[in-house]
Amino acid sequence: MPLKRSILLALAALLLAGGALWVAHRPAPPPRQATLEDVRREAEAGGYRLITTAELGQRYQQEPAGLLLVDTRQDWEYRAGHIKGAVSFPLEPSAWGRWRAKKPLAALLGPDKNRLVVFY
Amino acid sequence: MAVQLGYENVYRDPVGFPAWKEQGLPVAATPWCPPEGDGSESCPGPTSGLALVWTLLGVFAGGLALNLTPCVYPLIPITVSYFGGQSPGSKARLAVHGLLYLVGLAVTNSLLGVAAALTGGLMGAALQHPVVVVGVALVLVIFASSLFGFWELRLPAGLTRAASRSYMGYFGAFFMGLTLGVVAAPCIGPFVLGLLTWVAGQGSAWLGFIVFFTLSLGLGTPLFVLALFSGSLDRLPRSGEWLLWVRRLMGWVLLAMAAYFLRPLLPQAWGVFLLGAVALLAGLHLGVLDRTAAVGRALAGLKGAAWMAGIIIATLMIGSWALRGPGVAWQPYSDSLLAQAQKLGKPVIIDFAADWCAPCRELEDITFHHPQVVEKAAKAFVMIKVDLTRKGNPQSQALLVRYQVKGVPTVLFLDKNGQECKDLRLVDFLPPEPFLARMDAAAGK
Repeated sequence: MPLKRSILLALAALLLAGGALWVAHRPAPPPRQATLEDVRREAEAGGYRLITTAELGQRYQQEPAGLLLVDTRQDWEYRAGHIKGAVSFPLEPSAWGRWRAKKPLAALLGPDKNRLVVFY
Repeated sequence: MAVQLGYENVYRDPVGFPAWKEQGLPVAATPWCPPEGDGSESCPGPTSGLALVWTLLGVFAGGLALNLTPCVYPLIPITVSYFGGQSPGSKARLAVHGLLYLVGLAVTNSLLGVAAALTGGLMGAALQHPVVVVGVALVLVIFASSLFGFWELRLPAGLTRAASRSYMGYFGAFFMGLTLGVVAAPCIGPFVLGLLTWVAGQGSAWLGFIVFFTLSLGLGTPLFVLALFSGSLDRLPRSGEWLLWVRRLMGWVLLAMAAYFLRPLLPQAWGVFLLGAVALLAGLHLGVLDRTAAVGRALAGLKGAAWMAGIIIATLMIGSWALRGPGVAWQPYSDSLLAQAQKLGKPVIIDFAADWCAPCRELEDITFHHPQVVEKAAKAFVMIKVDLTRKGNPQSQALLVRYQVKGVPTVLFLDKNGQECKDLRLVDFLPPEPFLARMDAAAGK
Protein backbone atom coordinates (compact mmCIF):
# COMPACT_ATOMS: atom_id res chain seq x y z
CA MET A 1 0.00 0.00 0.00
CA PRO A 2 1.39 3.45 -0.87
CA LEU A 3 2.68 5.38 2.13
CA LYS A 4 0.40 8.35 1.59
CA ARG A 5 -2.70 6.18 1.55
CA SER A 6 -1.58 4.32 4.67
CA ILE A 7 -1.16 7.55 6.59
CA LEU A 8 -4.50 8.89 5.44
CA LEU A 9 -6.28 5.71 6.46
CA ALA A 10 -4.49 5.70 9.81
CA LEU A 11 -5.61 9.25 10.53
CA ALA A 12 -9.18 8.40 9.56
CA ALA A 13 -9.11 5.37 11.86
CA LEU A 14 -7.75 7.42 14.75
CA LEU A 15 -10.46 10.01 14.26
CA LEU A 16 -13.17 7.35 14.21
CA ALA A 17 -11.88 5.62 17.32
CA GLY A 18 -11.36 8.91 19.15
CA GLY A 19 -14.90 9.99 18.28
CA ALA A 20 -16.34 6.72 19.52
CA LEU A 21 -14.40 7.04 22.78
CA TRP A 22 -15.62 10.59 23.24
CA VAL A 23 -19.25 9.60 22.66
CA ALA A 24 -18.97 6.73 25.12
CA HIS A 25 -17.30 8.77 27.85
CA ARG A 26 -18.86 12.24 27.63
CA PRO A 27 -20.79 13.21 30.77
CA ALA A 28 -24.40 12.14 30.44
CA PRO A 29 -27.02 14.92 30.57
CA PRO A 30 -29.38 14.64 33.55
CA PRO A 31 -32.57 12.79 32.58
CA ARG A 32 -35.45 15.17 31.88
CA GLN A 33 -38.32 14.95 34.34
CA ALA A 34 -41.69 14.62 32.59
CA THR A 35 -43.89 17.62 33.35
CA LEU A 36 -47.59 17.43 34.10
CA GLU A 37 -48.23 18.92 30.66
CA ASP A 38 -46.33 16.04 28.99
CA VAL A 39 -48.36 13.48 30.93
CA ARG A 40 -51.62 15.17 29.96
CA ARG A 41 -50.70 15.27 26.27
CA GLU A 42 -49.67 11.64 26.35
CA ALA A 43 -52.97 10.61 27.94
CA GLU A 44 -54.90 12.46 25.26
CA ALA A 45 -52.95 10.79 22.49
CA GLY A 46 -53.36 7.39 24.10
CA GLY A 47 -57.08 7.74 24.70
CA TYR A 48 -57.12 7.27 28.46
CA ARG A 49 -57.86 9.56 31.40
CA LEU A 50 -55.75 10.57 34.35
CA ILE A 51 -56.59 9.98 37.96
CA THR A 52 -55.04 11.48 41.05
CA THR A 53 -53.77 9.31 43.85
CA ALA A 54 -56.32 10.86 46.23
CA GLU A 55 -59.25 9.96 44.00
CA LEU A 56 -57.86 6.51 43.33
CA GLY A 57 -57.51 5.97 47.05
CA GLN A 58 -61.15 6.94 47.58
CA ARG A 59 -62.44 4.57 44.93
CA TYR A 60 -60.12 1.88 46.18
CA GLN A 61 -61.67 2.04 49.62
CA GLN A 62 -65.26 2.38 48.44
CA GLU A 63 -65.50 -0.49 45.98
CA PRO A 64 -62.32 -2.53 45.76
CA ALA A 65 -64.08 -5.36 43.90
CA GLY A 66 -64.84 -3.44 40.71
CA LEU A 67 -61.35 -2.00 40.34
CA LEU A 68 -58.47 -3.56 38.48
CA LEU A 69 -55.06 -2.13 39.32
CA VAL A 70 -52.24 -2.86 36.90
CA ASP A 71 -48.65 -2.24 37.91
CA THR A 72 -46.68 -1.56 34.73
CA ARG A 73 -43.32 -1.07 36.40
CA GLN A 74 -40.49 -3.57 36.29
CA ASP A 75 -40.93 -6.90 38.00
CA TRP A 76 -38.38 -6.08 40.70
CA GLU A 77 -40.10 -2.78 41.47
CA TYR A 78 -43.38 -4.65 41.96
CA ARG A 79 -41.69 -7.14 44.24
CA ALA A 80 -40.18 -4.39 46.33
CA GLY A 81 -43.60 -2.87 47.00
CA HIS A 82 -46.91 -2.28 45.23
CA ILE A 83 -50.49 -1.21 45.86
CA LYS A 84 -52.20 -4.05 47.65
CA GLY A 85 -54.26 -6.04 45.16
CA ALA A 86 -52.49 -4.74 42.08
CA VAL A 87 -51.39 -7.12 39.31
CA SER A 88 -47.89 -6.93 37.91
CA PHE A 89 -47.65 -6.41 34.18
CA PRO A 90 -44.23 -5.02 33.25
CA LEU A 91 -44.63 -2.84 30.17
CA GLU A 92 -41.74 -1.52 28.14
CA PRO A 93 -42.27 2.08 27.03
CA SER A 94 -41.54 1.33 23.38
CA ALA A 95 -43.57 0.53 20.28
CA TRP A 96 -42.20 -3.01 20.24
CA GLY A 97 -43.03 -3.49 23.94
CA ARG A 98 -46.61 -2.27 23.41
CA TRP A 99 -47.11 -4.47 20.36
CA ARG A 100 -45.87 -7.49 22.22
CA ALA A 101 -48.00 -6.72 25.26
CA LYS A 102 -51.26 -6.50 23.34
CA LYS A 103 -52.45 -10.09 23.58
CA PRO A 104 -51.41 -10.92 27.15
CA LEU A 105 -52.79 -7.58 28.30
CA ALA A 106 -56.18 -8.31 26.72
CA ALA A 107 -56.21 -11.67 28.47
CA LEU A 108 -55.36 -10.00 31.77
CA LEU A 109 -58.05 -7.34 31.51
CA GLY A 110 -60.83 -9.76 30.62
CA PRO A 111 -63.85 -9.43 28.34
CA ASP A 112 -65.67 -6.69 30.26
CA LYS A 113 -64.91 -3.54 28.28
CA ASN A 114 -66.58 -1.25 30.82
CA ARG A 115 -64.69 -2.26 33.88
CA LEU A 116 -62.59 0.26 35.70
CA VAL A 117 -58.90 -0.22 34.96
CA VAL A 118 -56.16 1.88 36.48
CA PHE A 119 -52.54 1.67 35.35
CA TYR A 120 -49.62 3.03 37.26
CA MET B 1 -49.16 6.24 22.75
CA ALA B 2 -50.83 3.33 24.38
CA VAL B 3 -52.04 -0.15 23.66
CA GLN B 4 -55.52 0.17 22.10
CA LEU B 5 -57.89 -2.56 23.22
CA GLY B 6 -61.21 -0.73 23.33
CA TYR B 7 -61.77 -0.48 27.06
CA GLU B 8 -63.88 2.47 28.21
CA ASN B 9 -62.88 3.16 31.79
CA VAL B 10 -59.13 3.30 31.58
CA TYR B 11 -57.22 5.58 33.91
CA ARG B 12 -53.62 6.20 34.69
CA ASP B 13 -52.18 7.43 37.93
CA PRO B 14 -49.06 9.29 36.81
CA VAL B 15 -47.46 9.46 40.24
CA GLY B 16 -48.51 5.96 41.22
CA PHE B 17 -46.91 3.99 43.94
CA PRO B 18 -44.67 6.51 45.77
CA ALA B 19 -47.56 8.92 46.39
CA TRP B 20 -49.84 6.04 47.35
CA LYS B 21 -47.38 4.79 49.91
CA GLU B 22 -46.89 8.29 51.28
CA GLN B 23 -50.61 8.61 52.01
CA GLY B 24 -50.51 5.46 54.07
CA LEU B 25 -52.82 3.46 51.80
CA PRO B 26 -52.55 -0.34 51.83
CA VAL B 27 -49.44 -1.77 50.16
CA ALA B 28 -47.99 -5.22 49.73
CA ALA B 29 -44.63 -6.61 48.76
CA THR B 30 -43.17 -9.87 47.56
CA PRO B 31 -39.86 -9.99 49.32
CA TRP B 32 -36.78 -11.25 47.47
CA CYS B 33 -35.29 -12.32 50.73
CA PRO B 34 -37.71 -14.55 52.62
CA PRO B 35 -37.37 -13.58 56.29
CA GLU B 36 -37.19 -17.21 57.45
CA GLY B 37 -34.95 -19.72 55.73
CA ASP B 38 -37.28 -21.91 53.68
CA GLY B 39 -34.63 -23.89 51.88
CA SER B 40 -36.99 -26.38 50.26
CA GLU B 41 -38.12 -24.01 47.54
CA SER B 42 -37.73 -25.65 44.15
CA CYS B 43 -38.08 -23.61 41.00
CA PRO B 44 -39.18 -25.61 37.96
CA GLY B 45 -35.88 -25.10 36.21
CA PRO B 46 -35.19 -25.57 32.52
CA THR B 47 -34.48 -29.27 33.06
CA SER B 48 -37.84 -30.95 32.72
CA GLY B 49 -39.97 -31.98 29.76
CA LEU B 50 -40.24 -29.65 26.83
CA ALA B 51 -38.16 -27.00 28.59
CA LEU B 52 -35.21 -29.39 28.46
CA VAL B 53 -35.53 -29.62 24.68
CA TRP B 54 -35.35 -25.84 24.39
CA THR B 55 -32.41 -25.68 26.76
CA LEU B 56 -30.59 -28.29 24.68
CA LEU B 57 -31.37 -26.44 21.45
CA GLY B 58 -29.88 -23.33 23.01
CA VAL B 59 -26.82 -25.27 24.09
CA PHE B 60 -26.45 -26.69 20.57
CA ALA B 61 -26.57 -23.19 19.12
CA GLY B 62 -23.99 -22.16 21.69
CA GLY B 63 -21.78 -25.02 20.52
CA LEU B 64 -22.10 -23.85 16.93
CA ALA B 65 -21.16 -20.35 18.06
CA LEU B 66 -18.06 -21.69 19.78
CA ASN B 67 -16.71 -22.33 16.29
CA LEU B 68 -16.16 -18.58 16.07
CA THR B 69 -13.42 -18.91 18.65
CA PRO B 70 -10.15 -19.84 16.97
CA CYS B 71 -9.77 -22.72 19.44
CA VAL B 72 -11.13 -24.97 16.76
CA TYR B 73 -8.60 -23.96 14.11
CA PRO B 74 -6.03 -26.59 15.07
CA LEU B 75 -8.66 -29.27 14.51
CA ILE B 76 -9.38 -28.12 10.96
CA PRO B 77 -6.15 -29.11 9.20
CA ILE B 78 -6.06 -32.40 11.13
CA THR B 79 -9.61 -33.23 10.12
CA VAL B 80 -8.89 -32.38 6.50
CA SER B 81 -5.72 -34.42 6.30
CA TYR B 82 -7.29 -37.39 8.08
CA PHE B 83 -10.35 -37.60 5.88
CA GLY B 84 -8.60 -36.37 2.77
CA GLY B 85 -6.01 -39.12 3.16
CA GLN B 86 -8.57 -41.87 3.14
CA SER B 87 -9.13 -43.89 0.05
CA PRO B 88 -12.13 -42.59 -1.85
CA GLY B 89 -15.12 -44.67 -0.81
CA SER B 90 -18.81 -44.18 -1.20
CA LYS B 91 -20.43 -41.01 0.10
CA ALA B 92 -22.43 -42.99 2.65
CA ARG B 93 -19.31 -44.61 4.04
CA LEU B 94 -17.66 -41.22 4.40
CA ALA B 95 -20.74 -39.87 6.16
CA VAL B 96 -20.72 -42.72 8.69
CA HIS B 97 -17.01 -42.12 9.30
CA GLY B 98 -17.61 -38.44 9.80
CA LEU B 99 -20.46 -39.12 12.17
CA LEU B 100 -18.36 -41.51 14.25
CA TYR B 101 -15.59 -38.92 14.35
CA LEU B 102 -18.08 -36.33 15.58
CA VAL B 103 -19.48 -38.65 18.26
CA GLY B 104 -15.95 -39.51 19.39
CA LEU B 105 -15.14 -35.83 19.82
CA ALA B 106 -18.35 -35.25 21.72
CA VAL B 107 -17.82 -38.20 24.04
CA THR B 108 -14.35 -37.03 25.06
CA ASN B 109 -15.46 -33.46 25.52
CA SER B 110 -18.49 -34.33 27.59
CA LEU B 111 -16.66 -36.83 29.78
CA LEU B 112 -14.00 -34.22 30.49
CA GLY B 113 -16.63 -31.57 31.12
CA VAL B 114 -18.76 -33.64 33.46
CA ALA B 115 -15.79 -34.98 35.36
CA ALA B 116 -14.41 -31.49 35.79
CA ALA B 117 -17.74 -30.00 36.81
CA LEU B 118 -18.62 -32.70 39.33
CA THR B 119 -15.29 -33.53 40.90
CA GLY B 120 -13.42 -30.27 41.05
CA GLY B 121 -16.26 -27.94 41.76
CA LEU B 122 -14.04 -25.06 40.82
CA MET B 123 -12.84 -26.74 37.68
CA GLY B 124 -11.79 -23.50 36.09
CA ALA B 125 -8.84 -23.59 38.44
CA ALA B 126 -7.57 -26.73 36.75
CA LEU B 127 -8.23 -25.61 33.19
CA GLN B 128 -6.83 -22.18 33.78
CA HIS B 129 -3.80 -23.16 35.75
CA PRO B 130 -0.90 -21.04 34.44
CA VAL B 131 0.83 -24.12 33.03
CA VAL B 132 -2.24 -25.08 30.99
CA VAL B 133 -2.80 -21.49 29.87
CA VAL B 134 0.77 -21.09 28.70
CA GLY B 135 0.52 -24.47 26.97
CA VAL B 136 -2.63 -23.52 25.09
CA ALA B 137 -1.16 -20.15 24.13
CA LEU B 138 1.98 -21.89 22.89
CA VAL B 139 -0.05 -24.26 20.70
CA LEU B 140 -1.90 -21.28 19.26
CA VAL B 141 1.35 -19.45 18.53
CA ILE B 142 2.82 -22.54 16.84
CA PHE B 143 -0.21 -22.90 14.62
CA ALA B 144 -0.08 -19.19 13.86
CA SER B 145 3.53 -19.47 12.76
CA SER B 146 2.47 -22.27 10.42
CA LEU B 147 -0.21 -20.03 8.94
CA PHE B 148 2.41 -17.33 8.45
CA GLY B 149 4.29 -19.83 6.31
CA PHE B 150 7.29 -20.48 8.58
CA TRP B 151 6.68 -24.21 8.37
CA GLU B 152 4.27 -26.56 6.68
CA LEU B 153 1.71 -28.26 8.85
CA ARG B 154 1.71 -32.00 8.41
CA LEU B 155 0.43 -34.78 10.58
CA PRO B 156 3.16 -36.72 12.34
CA ALA B 157 4.20 -39.58 10.09
CA GLY B 158 3.25 -42.18 12.66
CA LEU B 159 -0.27 -40.88 12.95
CA THR B 160 -0.70 -40.76 9.19
CA ARG B 161 0.54 -44.31 8.82
CA ALA B 162 -1.70 -45.50 11.60
CA ALA B 163 -4.65 -43.78 10.04
CA SER B 164 -3.99 -45.30 6.65
CA ARG B 165 -3.44 -48.82 7.90
CA SER B 166 -4.81 -50.35 11.04
CA TYR B 167 -7.29 -47.71 12.14
CA MET B 168 -8.92 -47.37 8.78
CA GLY B 169 -12.17 -48.91 9.94
CA TYR B 170 -15.11 -47.29 11.57
CA PHE B 171 -13.45 -47.64 14.92
CA GLY B 172 -10.54 -45.62 13.56
CA ALA B 173 -12.69 -42.58 12.92
CA PHE B 174 -14.28 -42.89 16.35
CA PHE B 175 -10.86 -43.23 17.93
CA MET B 176 -9.56 -40.16 16.08
CA GLY B 177 -12.47 -38.18 17.46
CA LEU B 178 -11.87 -39.45 20.97
CA THR B 179 -8.21 -38.42 20.83
CA LEU B 180 -8.70 -35.03 19.24
CA GLY B 181 -11.35 -34.02 21.76
CA VAL B 182 -8.49 -33.50 24.19
CA VAL B 183 -7.00 -30.84 21.89
CA ALA B 184 -10.02 -28.58 21.87
CA ALA B 185 -11.23 -29.02 25.44
CA PRO B 186 -8.86 -26.82 27.48
CA CYS B 187 -9.12 -23.98 24.99
CA ILE B 188 -12.91 -23.92 25.07
CA GLY B 189 -13.07 -24.19 28.85
CA PRO B 190 -13.20 -20.47 29.67
CA PHE B 191 -16.08 -19.91 27.26
CA VAL B 192 -18.30 -22.51 28.88
CA LEU B 193 -17.40 -21.65 32.46
CA GLY B 194 -20.96 -20.56 33.14
CA LEU B 195 -22.23 -23.88 31.81
CA LEU B 196 -19.78 -25.78 33.99
CA THR B 197 -20.95 -23.91 37.05
CA TRP B 198 -24.55 -24.62 36.12
CA VAL B 199 -23.90 -28.34 35.69
CA ALA B 200 -22.04 -28.42 38.99
CA GLY B 201 -25.04 -26.72 40.57
CA GLN B 202 -27.46 -29.30 39.15
CA GLY B 203 -25.32 -32.06 40.55
CA SER B 204 -26.61 -34.65 38.09
CA ALA B 205 -23.93 -36.40 36.08
CA TRP B 206 -26.42 -37.72 33.55
CA LEU B 207 -27.91 -34.30 32.83
CA GLY B 208 -24.43 -32.79 32.69
CA PHE B 209 -23.37 -35.40 30.16
CA ILE B 210 -26.36 -34.69 27.93
CA VAL B 211 -25.72 -30.96 28.07
CA PHE B 212 -22.01 -31.23 27.26
CA PHE B 213 -22.70 -33.84 24.58
CA THR B 214 -25.15 -31.48 22.87
CA LEU B 215 -22.63 -28.66 23.15
CA SER B 216 -19.92 -30.78 21.57
CA LEU B 217 -22.24 -31.90 18.78
CA GLY B 218 -22.85 -28.25 17.98
CA LEU B 219 -19.14 -27.60 18.17
CA GLY B 220 -18.32 -30.51 15.89
CA THR B 221 -21.00 -30.09 13.24
CA PRO B 222 -18.89 -27.79 11.03
CA LEU B 223 -16.02 -30.27 11.36
CA PHE B 224 -18.40 -33.03 10.24
CA VAL B 225 -19.30 -31.02 7.15
CA LEU B 226 -15.61 -30.40 6.58
CA ALA B 227 -14.95 -34.13 6.81
CA LEU B 228 -17.60 -34.81 4.17
CA PHE B 229 -16.03 -32.38 1.74
CA SER B 230 -12.39 -32.94 2.45
CA GLY B 231 -12.40 -35.95 0.16
CA SER B 232 -12.95 -33.67 -2.78
CA LEU B 233 -10.80 -30.87 -1.43
CA ASP B 234 -7.74 -31.98 -3.37
CA ARG B 235 -9.48 -31.32 -6.61
CA LEU B 236 -9.98 -27.63 -5.88
CA PRO B 237 -7.99 -25.29 -8.14
CA ARG B 238 -4.74 -24.07 -6.62
CA SER B 239 -5.28 -21.36 -4.12
CA GLY B 240 -4.72 -17.87 -5.38
CA GLU B 241 -2.66 -15.13 -3.86
CA TRP B 242 -5.54 -13.93 -1.77
CA LEU B 243 -5.67 -17.22 0.09
CA LEU B 244 -2.18 -16.53 1.39
CA TRP B 245 -3.44 -13.26 2.77
CA VAL B 246 -6.39 -14.97 4.44
CA ARG B 247 -3.97 -17.47 6.01
CA ARG B 248 -1.97 -14.61 7.49
CA LEU B 249 -5.18 -13.06 8.80
CA MET B 250 -6.07 -16.36 10.50
CA GLY B 251 -2.58 -16.44 11.94
CA TRP B 252 -3.11 -13.05 13.54
CA VAL B 253 -6.46 -14.14 14.91
CA LEU B 254 -4.70 -17.07 16.58
CA LEU B 255 -2.04 -14.76 18.00
CA ALA B 256 -4.75 -12.46 19.38
CA MET B 257 -6.35 -15.51 20.96
CA ALA B 258 -3.05 -16.47 22.57
CA ALA B 259 -2.71 -12.94 23.96
CA TYR B 260 -6.26 -13.14 25.27
CA PHE B 261 -5.43 -16.35 27.13
CA LEU B 262 -2.22 -14.96 28.56
CA ARG B 263 -3.84 -11.75 29.71
CA PRO B 264 -5.06 -12.97 33.11
CA LEU B 265 -1.48 -13.92 33.99
CA LEU B 266 -0.22 -10.40 33.39
CA PRO B 267 -0.74 -7.21 35.38
CA GLN B 268 -3.78 -5.43 34.03
CA ALA B 269 -2.03 -2.62 32.19
CA TRP B 270 0.29 -5.11 30.50
CA GLY B 271 -2.62 -7.22 29.36
CA VAL B 272 -4.34 -4.26 27.74
CA PHE B 273 -1.17 -3.12 25.99
CA LEU B 274 -0.39 -6.64 24.81
CA LEU B 275 -3.79 -6.98 23.12
CA GLY B 276 -3.51 -3.47 21.70
CA ALA B 277 -0.06 -4.20 20.35
CA VAL B 278 -1.25 -7.40 18.67
CA ALA B 279 -4.09 -5.49 16.99
CA LEU B 280 -1.76 -2.75 15.81
CA LEU B 281 0.91 -5.13 14.52
CA ALA B 282 -1.74 -7.20 12.76
CA GLY B 283 -2.99 -4.09 10.99
CA LEU B 284 0.55 -3.06 10.07
CA HIS B 285 1.49 -6.49 8.75
CA LEU B 286 -1.75 -7.25 6.90
CA GLY B 287 -2.36 -3.74 5.63
CA VAL B 288 0.87 -1.86 5.05
CA LEU B 289 3.79 -4.27 4.89
CA ASP B 290 2.05 -7.08 3.04
CA ARG B 291 3.62 -7.55 -0.39
CA THR B 292 1.01 -9.89 -1.83
CA ALA B 293 0.54 -8.84 -5.42
CA ALA B 294 -2.74 -6.98 -5.58
CA VAL B 295 -4.83 -9.29 -7.72
CA GLY B 296 -7.84 -7.08 -7.65
CA ARG B 297 -9.36 -4.09 -6.01
CA ALA B 298 -11.09 -6.26 -3.44
CA LEU B 299 -7.80 -7.23 -1.81
CA ALA B 300 -6.56 -3.63 -1.76
CA GLY B 301 -9.79 -2.68 0.02
CA LEU B 302 -9.39 -5.53 2.48
CA LYS B 303 -5.86 -4.44 3.28
CA GLY B 304 -6.99 -0.90 3.96
CA ALA B 305 -9.80 -2.21 6.14
CA ALA B 306 -7.40 -4.43 8.11
CA TRP B 307 -5.03 -1.51 8.71
CA MET B 308 -7.87 0.71 9.90
CA ALA B 309 -9.43 -2.03 12.02
CA GLY B 310 -6.11 -2.67 13.73
CA ILE B 311 -5.70 0.99 14.64
CA ILE B 312 -9.30 1.36 15.75
CA ILE B 313 -9.24 -1.73 17.96
CA ALA B 314 -5.93 -0.74 19.56
CA THR B 315 -7.09 2.83 20.20
CA LEU B 316 -10.43 1.78 21.63
CA MET B 317 -8.87 -0.80 23.87
CA ILE B 318 -6.16 1.38 25.32
CA GLY B 319 -8.33 4.49 25.32
CA SER B 320 -11.29 3.03 27.17
CA TRP B 321 -8.94 1.45 29.67
CA ALA B 322 -7.23 4.80 30.29
CA LEU B 323 -10.48 6.77 30.49
CA ARG B 324 -12.18 4.36 32.83
CA GLY B 325 -13.33 5.76 36.13
CA PRO B 326 -12.72 4.23 39.53
CA GLY B 327 -14.20 0.84 40.29
CA VAL B 328 -15.96 -0.58 43.29
CA ALA B 329 -13.77 -0.44 46.40
CA TRP B 330 -13.67 -4.07 47.49
CA GLN B 331 -12.73 -5.24 50.93
CA PRO B 332 -11.29 -8.63 51.80
CA TYR B 333 -13.56 -10.95 53.74
CA SER B 334 -13.52 -11.00 57.51
CA ASP B 335 -16.12 -12.10 60.05
CA SER B 336 -15.89 -8.80 61.88
CA LEU B 337 -16.67 -6.90 58.67
CA LEU B 338 -19.83 -8.95 58.24
CA ALA B 339 -20.85 -8.36 61.85
CA GLN B 340 -20.20 -4.66 61.45
CA ALA B 341 -22.36 -4.50 58.32
CA GLN B 342 -25.20 -6.18 60.22
CA LYS B 343 -24.84 -3.70 63.06
CA LEU B 344 -25.01 -0.78 60.62
CA GLY B 345 -28.00 -2.39 58.87
CA LYS B 346 -26.18 -2.45 55.54
CA PRO B 347 -26.69 -5.14 52.90
CA VAL B 348 -23.58 -6.99 51.77
CA ILE B 349 -22.42 -8.14 48.36
CA ILE B 350 -19.86 -10.92 48.26
CA ASP B 351 -18.14 -11.51 44.94
CA PHE B 352 -16.34 -14.82 44.50
CA ALA B 353 -13.95 -14.26 41.62
CA ALA B 354 -10.67 -15.39 40.16
CA ASP B 355 -8.24 -13.76 37.77
CA TRP B 356 -8.48 -16.60 35.30
CA CYS B 357 -12.22 -16.49 34.85
CA ALA B 358 -13.43 -14.52 31.86
CA PRO B 359 -16.96 -13.66 33.10
CA CYS B 360 -15.48 -12.48 36.42
CA ARG B 361 -13.26 -10.05 34.56
CA GLU B 362 -16.19 -8.91 32.51
CA LEU B 363 -18.21 -8.29 35.67
CA GLU B 364 -15.32 -6.37 37.18
CA ASP B 365 -14.48 -4.37 34.05
CA ILE B 366 -18.01 -3.42 33.04
CA THR B 367 -20.52 -3.79 35.86
CA PHE B 368 -18.30 -2.97 38.83
CA HIS B 369 -16.88 0.04 36.99
CA HIS B 370 -20.25 1.49 36.07
CA PRO B 371 -20.51 4.91 37.78
CA GLN B 372 -23.97 4.27 39.23
CA VAL B 373 -23.03 0.85 40.58
CA VAL B 374 -19.87 2.29 42.13
CA GLU B 375 -21.81 5.14 43.73
CA LYS B 376 -24.57 2.94 45.12
CA ALA B 377 -22.07 0.42 46.41
CA ALA B 378 -20.09 3.09 48.22
CA LYS B 379 -23.20 4.62 49.76
CA ALA B 380 -25.33 1.74 50.88
CA PHE B 381 -23.40 -1.52 50.65
CA VAL B 382 -20.52 -3.39 52.14
CA MET B 383 -18.63 -4.87 49.20
CA ILE B 384 -16.53 -7.97 49.82
CA LYS B 385 -14.39 -9.78 47.28
CA VAL B 386 -13.18 -13.32 47.84
CA ASP B 387 -10.28 -14.03 45.51
CA LEU B 388 -10.12 -17.66 44.45
CA THR B 389 -7.26 -17.30 41.97
CA ARG B 390 -5.02 -19.41 44.16
CA LYS B 391 -6.33 -22.53 45.78
CA GLY B 392 -5.79 -23.54 49.36
CA ASN B 393 -6.78 -20.54 51.44
CA PRO B 394 -8.65 -22.22 54.33
CA GLN B 395 -10.84 -19.18 54.97
CA SER B 396 -12.02 -19.06 51.35
CA GLN B 397 -12.62 -22.80 51.37
CA ALA B 398 -14.79 -22.44 54.45
CA LEU B 399 -16.79 -19.70 52.74
CA LEU B 400 -17.28 -21.87 49.66
CA VAL B 401 -18.79 -24.59 51.82
CA ARG B 402 -20.82 -22.21 53.93
CA TYR B 403 -22.49 -20.48 51.00
CA GLN B 404 -22.47 -23.55 48.74
CA VAL B 405 -20.53 -21.79 46.01
CA LYS B 406 -20.05 -24.15 43.07
CA GLY B 407 -17.85 -22.06 40.83
CA VAL B 408 -16.82 -18.62 39.75
CA PRO B 409 -18.18 -16.10 39.19
CA THR B 410 -20.65 -16.20 42.06
CA VAL B 411 -22.08 -13.01 43.51
CA LEU B 412 -24.05 -13.26 46.75
CA PHE B 413 -26.42 -10.64 48.09
CA LEU B 414 -26.96 -10.57 51.86
CA ASP B 415 -29.79 -8.43 53.17
CA LYS B 416 -29.36 -6.14 56.13
CA ASN B 417 -29.95 -9.02 58.55
CA GLY B 418 -27.11 -10.98 57.04
CA GLN B 419 -29.44 -13.49 55.33
CA GLU B 420 -28.56 -14.47 51.78
CA CYS B 421 -31.18 -13.61 49.14
CA LYS B 422 -31.00 -16.83 47.16
CA ASP B 423 -33.19 -15.41 44.38
CA LEU B 424 -30.60 -12.77 43.66
CA ARG B 425 -27.52 -14.96 43.47
CA LEU B 426 -25.53 -14.50 40.26
CA VAL B 427 -23.36 -17.09 38.56
CA ASP B 428 -22.66 -15.28 35.33
CA PHE B 429 -21.97 -11.85 33.90
CA LEU B 430 -24.80 -9.34 34.36
CA PRO B 431 -24.90 -5.86 32.77
CA PRO B 432 -25.03 -2.81 35.07
CA GLU B 433 -28.77 -1.99 34.78
CA PRO B 434 -30.18 -5.29 35.99
CA PHE B 435 -27.40 -5.44 38.54
CA LEU B 436 -28.60 -2.12 39.95
CA ALA B 437 -32.08 -3.62 40.23
CA ARG B 438 -30.70 -6.52 42.23
CA MET B 439 -28.85 -4.11 44.48
CA ASP B 440 -32.11 -2.28 45.15
CA ALA B 441 -33.86 -5.55 45.84
CA ALA B 442 -31.19 -6.59 48.32
CA ALA B 443 -31.41 -3.20 50.01
CA GLY B 444 -35.13 -3.82 50.40
CA LYS B 445 -36.28 -0.79 48.48
